[in-house]
Amino acid sequence: MPNNEVAEKVQNNVASKDEVVAKVVNLKKYFPIYKGFLVKKHVGDVKAIDDISFEVRRGETFAIVGESGCGKTTTARTMLRLTDPTDGKIEILGTDISKLSREELLPFRRKMQIVFQNPIGSLNPRMTVGQILTEPMLFHKIVSSQQEANEKAVELLRMVGLKPFHMDRYPHQFSGGQKQRIAIARALSVNPEIIYLDEPTSALDVSVQAQIVNLLLDFQKNMGLTYIFISHNLALVRFISNNVAVMYLGRIVEMGDVNEVFDNPIHPYTKALLSASPIPDPAIEKKRKRIILSGNVPSPIVRPSGCFFNPRCPFRMEQCDKEYPQTKSISENHQVACYLVDKREV
Amino acid sequence: MESILSVRNLSTWFFLEEGVLKAVNDVSFELAPNEVLGIVGETGSGKSITVRSVMRLIHNPGKIVSGEMIYRGRGREEDIAKMSDDELTHIRGKEISMIFQDPLTSLNPLYTIGDQLIETIMQHQDVDRAGAWRLAVEALDKVQIPEPEKRMNSYPFEFSGGMKQRVVIAIALSCNPKILIADEPTTALDVTIQAQVLDLMKQLQTEMKTGTLFITHDLGVISAMADRVMVMYGGRQMELASAEDVFHKPTHPYTHMLLRSIPRVDIKQESLESIPGQPPRMIDVPDVCPFAPRCPRRLDKCSKELPKLDEFEPNHYVRCFNPVEPGGDLYA
Repeated sequence: MPNNEVAEKVQNNVASKDEVVAKVVNLKKYFPIYKGFLVKKHVGDVKAIDDISFEVRRGETFAIVGESGCGKTTTARTMLRLTDPTDGKIEILGTDISKLSREELLPFRRKMQIVFQNPIGSLNPRMTVGQILTEPMLFHKIVSSQQEANEKAVELLRMVGLKPFHMDRYPHQFSGGQKQRIAIARALSVNPEIIYLDEPTSALDVSVQAQIVNLLLDFQKNMGLTYIFISHNLALVRFISNNVAVMYLGRIVEMGDVNEVFDNPIHPYTKALLSASPIPDPAIEKKRKRIILSGNVPSPIVRPSGCFFNPRCPFRMEQCDKEYPQTKSISENHQVACYLVDKREV
Repeated sequence: MESILSVRNLSTWFFLEEGVLKAVNDVSFELAPNEVLGIVGETGSGKSITVRSVMRLIHNPGKIVSGEMIYRGRGREEDIAKMSDDELTHIRGKEISMIFQDPLTSLNPLYTIGDQLIETIMQHQDVDRAGAWRLAVEALDKVQIPEPEKRMNSYPFEFSGGMKQRVVIAIALSCNPKILIADEPTTALDVTIQAQVLDLMKQLQTEMKTGTLFITHDLGVISAMADRVMVMYGGRQMELASAEDVFHKPTHPYTHMLLRSIPRVDIKQESLESIPGQPPRMIDVPDVCPFAPRCPRRLDKCSKELPKLDEFEPNHYVRCFNPVEPGGDLYA
């Protein structure tokens, strides 16, 4: 029974640093495209995630970065089983959840929570903050009575920097930053181990962004939470995360320790992303030589042959449009899928 | 050099049922030809309303309650604040153009982009349709849209986000305006596309010597684009100086804290400093420093009177009673 397993793990609270809490093996998620009205014909797939694998360790922040349409949000949604994977394994706390039924999933739903990008869309406008915070606790039977739930909700509000009297207010009475605090409090209400953060600050102003990021880091330190952080903001990723995976058209092109990947990027796409991220310093910014990529991200339905990045790549070589490069390790915690790696060794 | 636009004591208020929302208060600045003036600030700081006032795009219940906006692009001094609707049609799009944040909503989905370019060109220039067509193709070529002749007949939905923003830039620059106003032009775009569009804008701006008001909340983008920077908070100017001074010698506590609250991609930071509290409410606020409730250097008089915008150093203006000395400690 996966149920007992989880309970046991929580009781023992094995806080070993190297414990893998989430592992994705050859995960694929294709969205089929149909044509025709009466007779539907399967004409192709949008390959949103195409064969990705990675491990997330306890207490770390694992970031997934990339541009719109690269599959980063789909990865989170599939790991949460909000959509079903096409193929591959999703091991959460040692159990493969990729084929579990609704009921079997329940304990994992409690262990994994998500904070969405847009706090306006993720809080029910007809529920008070109190109801928003107590519903998940009562549903997962973490508390035995409404009163206990209320007490815990007040405590959660205090933790995220809000006041007890906010319990009876509705989401529209809060600012964007406060709403995101409520969304974080709701995620924490069921004592999760893994929290998916899907662009949690991109709808917020910079001064409020720092407040939310610091709040999240405090919780991680004090509660040993594991974060899977999805963002297109590389500066924020560098600040908040330990490991990073760079995605392009459904595949991971480069992955590893965030400082190593950002200081010593190998894949031309990672290089381009980093050079496109503006630095808040005019002295540096005005002298910087940018790698300006030509064109747009190709369609995920008909992808280029060989390496998907080759039509935009400034370092394209002969073999690049023939076969997709294999992922190779260039150091203990740094993997790249690019032919340039071989050139480097020569 | 004489500035092309002088805005003096501009105030734009919105008269709402709940009270008066003072969106822009007593804002003054000069824009030199061939200069990029960046305006940074958070949501509700009044940066968009400032530039919309310059274009006279303020509608009921909003009203420009005071101030003058002297435009010198046509060999004489003209006050935009006093112009009639008729005169404004000759200014908008011809002398001063604007690029908005969302390219999706600034293009009409029912017309080809060729039609939309030609409309602007024929409105302001003395050419026939064939001449306008040629100018439109040139404009598209200038913003590096491949096969411009073919693309003239395409509809906006056939373009990607970055391409749409290029078309918007082409329309804005088609009549060689003297002033370009760009309101968060790259916020809706991905980083690599943002880099393309910023690169293009910078190149065209240098080439055409357009005075530019560039609005953004992204301090990284502003450091790539702006010559001078104006920091706004709560409807007022807090600091106005060269980009180098604002970033390297921030003097207003707000600018100071803002710069320390943003993460950087090029170095590993140990901590981010957040600015405590919430952005100010804007309705029926007294004339005191709007940043006072969140400010660590607050003095007693900060919440009683409003500091003036003083020239702290040559060409470095600050509105603060207790500014930070260059290189000084914020909490000292």
